[in-house]
This record gives sequence, structure tokens and C-alpha cells, in this order.
Amino acid sequence: MSTATAAPPAPERPLPAPTRESQSFWDGMREGRFMLQHCALCGKVRHYPRPVCPHCFSTENSFKEAPTGGAIHTWTVCHHPFNFFFKAAAPYIVALVDMDAGVRVNAPLRGIAEADLKIGKRLRMGFEPVTKEVTLPFFVAE
Amino acid sequence: MVHPLRDKAAVSGIGETAYTRGTPKSGLALQLEASLAAIADAGLSPHDIDGLVPYFPGGGIAEDFVANLGLPDLKLSVFVPMGGATCVAAIQTAAMAVATGVCKHVLISVGRTGYSGARVSARLQQFPQFALAAEFEAPIGMFAPAQLYAQGARRHMELYGTTARHFAEVAVVTRQHAILNGNVVMNKPLTVEEHHASRMISDPFRLFDCSLESDGGAAIIVSAADRARDLKKPLVTVMGVAEGHPESPASIAQRPDLLEFGLAKAVPRAYGMAGIGPADIDVAEIYDCFTFTVINQLELLGFCKKGEGGPFVMDGRIALGGALPINTHGGLLSQGHVVGLNHVVELTRQLRREAGKAQVKDAEVGLVTGYGDMGDGSIAILRRAA
Repeated sequence: MSTATAAPPAPERPLPAPTRESQSFWDGMREGRFMLQHCALCGKVRHYPRPVCPHCFSTENSFKEAPTGGAIHTWTVCHHPFNFFFKAAAPYIVALVDMDAGVRVNAPLRGIAEADLKIGKRLRMGFEPVTKEVTLPFFVAE
Repeated sequence: MVHPLRDKAAVSGIGETAYTRGTPKSGLALQLEASLAAIADAGLSPHDIDGLVPYFPGGGIAEDFVANLGLPDLKLSVFVPMGGATCVAAIQTAAMAVATGVCKHVLISVGRTGYSGARVSARLQQFPQFALAAEFEAPIGMFAPAQLYAQGARRHMELYGTTARHFAEVAVVTRQHAILNGNVVMNKPLTVEEHHASRMISDPFRLFDCSLESDGGAAIIVSAADRARDLKKPLVTVMGVAEGHPESPASIAQRPDLLEFGLAKAVPRAYGMAGIGPADIDVAEIYDCFTFTVINQLELLGFCKKGEGGPFVMDGRIALGGALPINTHGGLLSQGHVVGLNHVVELTRQLRREAGKAQVKDAEVGLVTGYGDMGDGSIAILRRAA
């Protein structure tokens, strides 16, 4: 057999499958707005989105736009691509950030060297459309 | 008042397959092979088993055990879906079942083809507990436990000055112990330099900070202590046992303190049931999915203060002959990854004084932990009965 081997299909980016709870968050991301779920009764913010407020047990809630600033809580530098989609990007830094809005966001960090990372460093969240429906967060220096 | 579950259950049988990388056998075949070994070790017949807590998801379910072992009257079939915390948490479930008379002999078992079958990233897709990580973290390039737990390790290093040298010590000592065991995947010595030179997986975790992907099976039998006394092997009872579930259980990222997880809640309950504390422990088998995870758990177990786990593991303290020998079988890092049931097998061996070259002298009381999913925890304190 001398048939050429077909090139393997390009690995697909893992994409979120929004739920009835999280749809508003992802809709906001697509519009470049960081939308967080708040309890309609006690007002507390919760993330990731879920049906019941764990503080007062209300099921009523609404999404409000939140500020995009935050500070580094911790980070990792991903060298081994557990998903082949990320192979070309590795090594990449993923920062876990204490958002000023009171929740955390995990997202890739751009434009900052590993040696310059420290807990408390100020960052700002950006929005990167990756498909027509999905926009994902990333961080840059504030 | 003595806790009603204290010393009411016993680990009466233990069994393992060979731990390998590569096998023609199915996960179910490995699970049944280990189960038959545990049943024989206890001096029982498969027909004596009337309760099951098989590891789930992945592996055999009640139907498989009834079909293969001909169980005539299965009275309890339970899943404990806590990832790596499952096997030790299952001891609590089994102990409740045998102490109340619902069951006589409960089989806890694992069989997996973690090397020759589905690898870690693929297996995780089966876990509903990972749905949030799949929605919010996989798309930004974080999904595997090595990545998700690395952020906690990095924070510990930044806050407390813990170093890769401390991580290496856990890997090197665990390897030394594995070599004494013999039934292990990793049977060559490991040096600190080799640890440091191994490739970075997800900083700060290098290859030798990560547990193995391996093939194998393990099983234990939990029986009522008064029944187990008449069985074949020295009586090893469950002095204390507990499971704990952390805040933000499905997302490490949203957890208030990344370094406080389910084990923190389980530990005081287990010590309370046993009526003892960390100073009474002769040997500890600590769930070692990553080297750092051992350091973190040593703190939560009260062997040292928060932040002091790094220095604690140095100077031979955790090696055989040290003040607190840990993972005397080689653990998940060097023996094999059967979700920590091999840790329970080893602790039982230690307390029976069957641990061969790795025997901790005069071991009377020991503990074993489980750690899994996104931070569920479990602990069992076992003792050699007088």
C-alpha cells in the first residue's frame, strides 16, 4: 500500500456548553461584559452560576455587570498539553484571580513573564471571541 | 462516651494484583482477581460476601460481582463517588453496614487499566463532579488534576516558602519504600537531582511530582469485628473513620482557601471517634496523587502546623526508621494508582506485621487518607487489636 496517510484532523478547542444557569454569563462574555449572578433576595454574588443562593436559599436571581479588575491569587504554568489543542500554546500561564467583584476567575495570562508573577499583582480581564457564540476571558496587567 | 462505631468493624481481608504498565486484562478482570485474593486472605468464600462498594465510575458494578462470584444474597450495593477519597470513605460506609448487622462482609474493590486503557484526561469526562471544570476551566486550558492542583501548590510555596526540594523529598522517600515492596511499577532508585531534572508538567509539578498511570486492582473486606476475630488473619479494627466535603466542592478555583479541603473536616471527627491524636500514629499512608498533596495533608492531619509541611518531610522524618514513616509501599507515586486502595492494603499489612522489609517496628496504630475529585477527603485510623 502506498497511499499517503491523511493528515490527522486539527484538535478541537474544548468549548463550554452553557446551561440554563450559566447562559447569561456566556451571553455577557460575548458582549464583552463580565456578568455575575446575584441573589435577588440577599444580594450576595455567586459564581459559578447555580439555581439556589447558598446563603438565603432564594431561587430568584439576576445577572449584573461586574468590574474586570482583580489581583493574582495564584497561578500555574502549563507545560504538558493534556488537551492537544493547547500544544502549540504551551507553556502558558493560567492565573487564578481574586476579582474585585468578590469571585475568582481562572484564565490565561498574557504579556507578563513568569518571573514577574506574585500574589496580589493587579490584573484586568479581557475578552477574546473564539467562536461566533463563545468568548473566553484572559488577563493582562492592569 | 465511646463512639458507637469505634472498633466495631475490621479490615479482615486484603488483596492486590500485580501493578504494571500494560496488561491484556480488563479493569473488571483485575478488580475480580484482587477481590478473590482479598476473600481468600480473609479465609472466606466468595459466597460470604453480602455487601459491595465498588469504585465508581469505572470498573465493575453489583451485576458484575453477582454474575462472576455467584453472590447468593447481596444485601447492599453502594457507590461512593469521591474520586481518590472513595476507597477510604467506603470504609465508613462498610463499617456502618457491618456494625448494624445489615451485612456480614463488605467487599471494597478497584480495578483499572489507567495505563493500557483510558488515560486520565479521558476518564475524567465520565465524572459529573468535573462538569464545572469542563465548562469554565477546560476551555481556557485547565482541566487535568495536575493543572488544577498546581495552583494550590504554587500558593503554598509563595505563602510559606515551600520548595521543589521538599516535593523531591516526598518522591525520593516514596521510591525508596517502593523498592522494598517489590510489587511496584517504579523499582529503580530516584535521586533529588533526577526529580529536579524531570520535565515540567504544570508548574510547580514536575513529572516525578505526579502519581503513576498504571494497571492493577486492589480489594479489601470489611467485616464486623466480632466475626473477624474468628477469621484467618490478625484482627485489625477501624478505630476511627470519616469523610469530608470541602466548600465549593466542584471548583477548586472558587474555594475560599485552596489549602483547606474535605480532609480538614474529616480529621477531627476521625480522631474523635478513635479517641487519639496525631502523636499516637505509628505509620501513615497518605493519598499521594502529587508530592505536594502529601505535604498539605500532613498539615491538615495535625502532624505539623499549617505552612510547615515542607520542612516537616525533611531529614528522614517520613522515611522508614523516622518519626512518621509514610507510604511504606510506594504509594501512587511509585507503586501503582488504584485510587488509594493500595494504601489501605499496606496499612493493614503493617498492623498485621506482614510488611516484610518495609515493616514499621511494633506498628500498633496507623492512619490512611483519601483525597479526590476537587478536594473531597477521607481518613481511617486502624489498629492492631490486643
